[in-house]
Amino acid sequence: MTQILIQGLLLSGLYALIAIGFTMIFSVGRVLNLAYGAYLMLGGYTYFWVAQTMHMPKPIGIAAAIGIGALAGVAMHRLIVRPLHSDPVAVEISTLILAVIIQAGIVLVFNDAPKVLHPIVDGVWRVGGATVTFNILTATVASWVILFALYHFVRKTHVGRAISAVSMDIKGAALSGVNPDRINMITWAISGALGAIAGVFFASYTQLSPSMWVSPLIIAVAVVIVGGIGSIIGTLIVAHIIGFMEIISTTLIAAELRGVFTMLLIIVVLVLLPRGLFGRGEL
Amino acid sequence: MTLLEIERLSAFYGRAQSLHEVSLSVGKGEVVAVIGTNGAGKSTLMDSIMGMVTNTGAMRLEGQDIIGRSPAEIVRHGVGYAPERAHLFPFMTVEDNLLVGGYTAREDIDRNIAHVHELFPVLKERARQETATLSGGERQMVSIGRALMTSPRLLLVDEPTIGLSPKVVAEIAATLRRLNEESGLTILIAEQNINFAMELAGTVHVLETGHMRISGTPQELMADEELNRAYFGT
Repeated sequence: MTQILIQGLLLSGLYALIAIGFTMIFSVGRVLNLAYGAYLMLGGYTYFWVAQTMHMPKPIGIAAAIGIGALAGVAMHRLIVRPLHSDPVAVEISTLILAVIIQAGIVLVFNDAPKVLHPIVDGVWRVGGATVTFNILTATVASWVILFALYHFVRKTHVGRAISAVSMDIKGAALSGVNPDRINMITWAISGALGAIAGVFFASYTQLSPSMWVSPLIIAVAVVIVGGIGSIIGTLIVAHIIGFMEIISTTLIAAELRGVFTMLLIIVVLVLLPRGLFGRGEL
Repeated sequence: MTLLEIERLSAFYGRAQSLHEVSLSVGKGEVVAVIGTNGAGKSTLMDSIMGMVTNTGAMRLEGQDIIGRSPAEIVRHGVGYAPERAHLFPFMTVEDNLLVGGYTAREDIDRNIAHVHELFPVLKERARQETATLSGGERQMVSIGRALMTSPRLLLVDEPTIGLSPKVVAEIAATLRRLNEESGLTILIAEQNINFAMELAGTVHVLETGHMRISGTPQELMADEELNRAYFGT
């Protein structure tokens, strides 16, 4: 029981971090970025190359991952989303293809054997029969800190409020002097950076492989669909629903079921509650 | 002195043309109204001034050419806009809506908020409420307030009275008059509510299916027989 509670909390924090960058793009730009999982992969591999291949300090590896993620986000906005005028179907098809291309690129550069990341923080913590690695604990704490910072950024800064404004009413934002295109690009950069840092933690929790972009993408899609998009708080809540569901099903039923219930939940919510649990479309 | 000058302005949505060589000018400190029925092109005219529509012709703000500029640039040039149906941010608080309005005029935010609260005290009470929960009149006040947060020299107000009770309409009229008289703010109003427009404006233009039909003072327009038949049913 304690095991489930602790593992559930740890996993859910990470899932919230994985999902938030994806939900931001959906609420601001009204498109699903199916290459979002590739940010996690780019972040994970960048960190691996800098910290483990080049033996540079870990913080430099994390910073490099964030930089590459933000760059990938801006590039996708300028080269794909803008030319396609944010047409949802065209963007979804293009970004899905892009994810597969990035996967091929990763295989080409790093080969297709899975790689293990050394823990970002070493050590374990035993609590009530459960074992918690400092690594996953760090990932969860970092997720919470990042989400908290993001929440304040969106509410308390001009650019953050402009991001919410564009997500709620583009015309209203434009006549307030906000340039929606610029805000969209900033959001793509933030989304890429968030995806990349989530990727470093996700890879240190599982492992690096060229197909690692799929399961975080499913988690992110599930959070958007179940939560009915939206708020940072909503993302946190839904991430906990999904995280706990996964821990309970893999611990109590069978480990092979990882991810299955999440996908089933997507279908159930689509059929029963097409607008999601919270049903409002804004950040 | 002329603040806004529009010459032979046409507007296009795709291939459809919704304004046909419209000309008008707004002097500094004036209140000017554009009246017309639904679909006459009033909102298109307002959107055109904001740089939200494809246009041909000339538009100058204090002599500076503003045609083809982005809405963000027009706002920085000193045009505030309270559009039809307000376009507020429904799940943000009243205060945050106003703060987004202050996106460009950041150094004036404290002064502008105090000014808006003084004009519309109810917005101070409702500061922490989401605008989705407000009444129609209160939303209109947030909309005008948000436009004032841009520190405008010219305020555009599109259909401020639509769907509002006579009491609220009178309140909005009094506030706009006060803004003009006390702060010297230049105001351009688009309205279907002719009485509201005639009461406030020094100059009134009549727009019909994208053409400027007639212009004059309210008294001159009242004297025009054909116009009287068409608009006042007398």
